[in-house]
Amino acid sequence: MKAQRWMIQATIGVLAVLLLVCVGCVKKVEDTPAAPAAPVAGSSTEVGGEPVYRVGVTLLNREHKFYNVLEETLKTEGEARGMTVIIQDGDFDSIKQKNQIEDFIAQEVDAIVVCPVDSASIAGPISLANEAGIPVFTADIGADEGEVVAHIATDNVEGGRLAGEYLAELIGGKGKVVILDHPAVMSVQDRTKGFEEAIAEYPDIEIVDRPAADGVRDEAMARMQDMLVRHPDMAGVFAINDDTAMGALAAIRQSTSPPENLMMVGFDGTEEALAEIEKGCELKADIVQYPDEIGRSTIEAIYQYLRGELEWKPGDPTVVIPIAPKLVSADDLPLE
Amino acid sequence: MSPVPPANTEATSPEERSVAALRRKEALSRFALAGTLVFLCALFALTTHNHVFMKSTNLINVASQSAINTIIAVGMTFVIVTGGIDLSVGSIVGLAAVFSTGVMVGGLGFTIGQYRVDLLPQLPGVGGVLIGLGAGLTVGALAGLFNAMSIVRFRVTPFIATLAMMLIARGAGHLYSVEPIRGVPPAFIWIGQGRWLGIPIPVYLALTVVVIGWAVLSKTPFGRRVYAVGGNEEAARLSGIPVGRTKLLVYVASGLCAATAGTVLAAQLQAGDPKLGNAYELDAIAAAVLGGTSLMGGRGTILGTVLGALIIGVLDNGLTMLHVSSFAQMVIKGLVILGAVILDQARQRP
Repeated sequence: MKAQRWMIQATIGVLAVLLLVCVGCVKKVEDTPAAPAAPVAGSSTEVGGEPVYRVGVTLLNREHKFYNVLEETLKTEGEARGMTVIIQDGDFDSIKQKNQIEDFIAQEVDAIVVCPVDSASIAGPISLANEAGIPVFTADIGADEGEVVAHIATDNVEGGRLAGEYLAELIGGKGKVVILDHPAVMSVQDRTKGFEEAIAEYPDIEIVDRPAADGVRDEAMARMQDMLVRHPDMAGVFAINDDTAMGALAAIRQSTSPPENLMMVGFDGTEEALAEIEKGCELKADIVQYPDEIGRSTIEAIYQYLRGELEWKPGDPTVVIPIAPKLVSADDLPLE
Repeated sequence: MSPVPPANTEATSPEERSVAALRRKEALSRFALAGTLVFLCALFALTTHNHVFMKSTNLINVASQSAINTIIAVGMTFVIVTGGIDLSVGSIVGLAAVFSTGVMVGGLGFTIGQYRVDLLPQLPGVGGVLIGLGAGLTVGALAGLFNAMSIVRFRVTPFIATLAMMLIARGAGHLYSVEPIRGVPPAFIWIGQGRWLGIPIPVYLALTVVVIGWAVLSKTPFGRRVYAVGGNEEAARLSGIPVGRTKLLVYVASGLCAATAGTVLAAQLQAGDPKLGNAYELDAIAAAVLGGTSLMGGRGTILGTVLGALIIGVLDNGLTMLHVSSFAQMVIKGLVILGAVILDQARQRP
């Protein structure tokens, strides 16, 4: 067929060009990267009389830096307590996570830590663990149902409150404020709730608008462009996450007449946002979450529970352990 | 089949009469569409606080915000006119954004054992920008080629083939880099943030894509083949039209348009984020359909699509200006699209 021949020619053409580009740009690399040693899961149950607890962890993913840090702390803190920590990657897949929990149950681990891919559908796997008598802990993201001993996560309401207080101070306690919102997400609702509570203390500050920017840069840029026209005299912006803040900054940079002294506070503490704050721009501060604190407190809670120091029995409400986020401004940078 | 209209013009043949009637209807629906756009603008001008909608800065914003969707929707129009659909464009936006900026900032290469293979070098200044843009557009065209292969060679329906590419391209973008790529050169940022005569560069780029798309679709033999394939694929095949090749070019064009939009978006944001372009396929399809493109194929114009994209842009901007909640905005947008299509179909009936 003519069409097929044409396509084959096109493919060969593309491959030929790629090959040509390759030729002549092959060079030797100085050092061969060593393959990282594979993590070894321990199996002994007793060392020198002390019981060795085995903890199974299923993470939301291994793509976000947040989870890389969480994984690292769970491992090091657990090992410091003489625990064996087996970590699996849920990979944004509820079914995968369910299988991982079933594997943990089969391995008869002493405790399970879940960062649910989906707060609703994790209920089933958690109840399986409950039936097997294995205590379940949730970190970062909670579960809607099922018996959970403790939930360890960032206090988003507190983070929003910190952002509100700081922004109010920055704009001198008066003026118009815009929230670049993402109302469909629960944790964002907590952030804006805290923000509004803080702003309510200042009668001269008005939250004039809160368009939904879906927590992504492209939408945030468009909605911030709209806000710059709609409220040219606005004094402050609260961006509910750092992608939103980055999109808003792009809108401000494209604007021919950005408001003077516009102040913005973001949320998440990404490297990129902190670099912008340090460089000096409209983004003045960011709420930073502490995945390492979440990891440390999770191990602590497991340790206490297994030794009977944390009181909880099936039927009790989940013990909530909020991890306070911190506000970071240019004065605190660079971190560490 | 439509009944033959009463013969009141004796001089012309029935074919000529029906062609003229079709032309008249197309012109009429274009007119109705432009009327809708003007009506929405007038409505927002009157109802927004201090009439800010009509401020020149805001109108420029609307043009700039609609530019991305317009660029994607031009490619989408070609695909839909052949009777296909391209669900992968939003993901290609993200992939092209992250890949073009990645190549711009760090070149392209990989390591096999002890050997480092540099496919594309990392150059400073404009050279690097051009290589990055080329890489981004190439990856978009390749994604389109892949779509076309599945559809033409393996007879996968366009919906499924491009649904698969939607996943593949989104995943590939994140595999390439989860973190947004930063530190892009100023020459690249100019493409997104620069202005000429007070109008942002992306608007000129969208205009260029529109003019090329319009010329190709309505003035070239290839354009006529696109309509023929969508009108009746079997008849087109029997009359010697290279159906496979026509479809292939159409999906490559759609991938190219999406990749263009992705690089422009990355330039506007000064960063290549693999998350960009989420659900953009829906806005592009909506623009084409609002503009009178039939999902059954064989009918549609670039001008109509541009008007459709502008209506969506005006709605997004105007409703935000009016403080309408985002959830209500979704409902309103859905109803407007539905209403426009129902009206359009009513007009199409003889």
